Amino acid sequence: MSKLGWSLVTLITMFVVSQVQAVGLSDEAPDFTLRSLKGENLRLEEYRGKVVLINFWASWCGPCRQEMPLLDRLHHRYEDTGFTVLGVNVEGDPKPAQEIVDKIKVTFPVLIDRDQRVSELYDLEAMPSTIVVDRDGVIRYIHLGYKSGDESKYVEVVKKLIRE
Amino acid sequence: MQRIAVIIGLAVLFAASMPVFGEPLDDEMEGVKRALLELKRDLVILEEDLLFPASTQVAVFLSMDVGEFFQLDSVSLKLNGKEVTHHLYTDKQIDALYRGGVQRLFIGNVKQGSNRITAFFTGRGPSGRDYRRATTVEFEKSFEPAFIELAITDSTAKYQPEFRTAVSN
Repeated sequence: MSKLGWSLVTLITMFVVSQVQAVGLSDEAPDFTLRSLKGENLRLEEYRGKVVLINFWASWCGPCRQEMPLLDRLHHRYEDTGFTVLGVNVEGDPKPAQEIVDKIKVTFPVLIDRDQRVSELYDLEAMPSTIVVDRDGVIRYIHLGYKSGDESKYVEVVKKLIRE
Repeated sequence: MQRIAVIIGLAVLFAASMPVFGEPLDDEMEGVKRALLELKRDLVILEEDLLFPASTQVAVFLSMDVGEFFQLDSVSLKLNGKEVTHHLYTDKQIDALYRGGVQRLFIGNVKQGSNRITAFFTGRGPSGRDYRRATTVEFEKSFEPAFIELAITDSTAKYQPEFRTAVSN
């Protein structure tokens, strides 16, 4: 094979390898389609043009449950300006997620990652994990875990991205 | 004074005869952008040829007509008994299919010879009941790429959806 051929093969191999690395800031948010608790199939890419806050959570996670009402308030406050929260439950079984949602009464879409494919795609390292995606589908903020007061950081990022 | 006038005149003539540096740089930038786009296109084609060479390539396409008797929710594919893809459909995607869109559901590699693809369709059937149907296609893989079409159509005679398959290689 010629030198050009080998160079192209190397480039392609690097391209393929890069696809399996964890997501980071300025990466395009990996697309996914998941079923919501309401039975709709929702696709991340169809939210292009909106700022999206993706929150990965589980019913057994205390900080996740503590954070959810605050995320719901954020969703309501900025929904009309082109913003939405998407909750992704990573447990696979929708029953525990439905129980929590019935108790806490959130109104943003809650999606069920049945086979943990999306959790793997985003290479989650902590629970909860919050990722904010801008209108062009690029990851602009990643936040691992939650403690009281962290929501103010979300507000700051969301307000900045809404204005872009 | 005369000397100053001559110098100024010469300076003006010199400036007028200088090339305008902005224009060639713009053309160069355009050229670089064009070359980059062409390279990207070539890389995409090369990647596909490298990962899915014609001798082992199989591609599955899905189309559907206006779904009076069936509302598609998801499709999963098994190739020789192994699940290779599972797709959930949003309302926008369903609408695109109704409008004549064709989805490339799967592209992969199979060995030459006899192969089997089974497609499982899940959705809402007549009267809004949950509906699940499977259809199997046996095909012979030659050295040419194999294209399999899955088409969901309404059968007004039976008031049921029909799941047609077609193979071309």
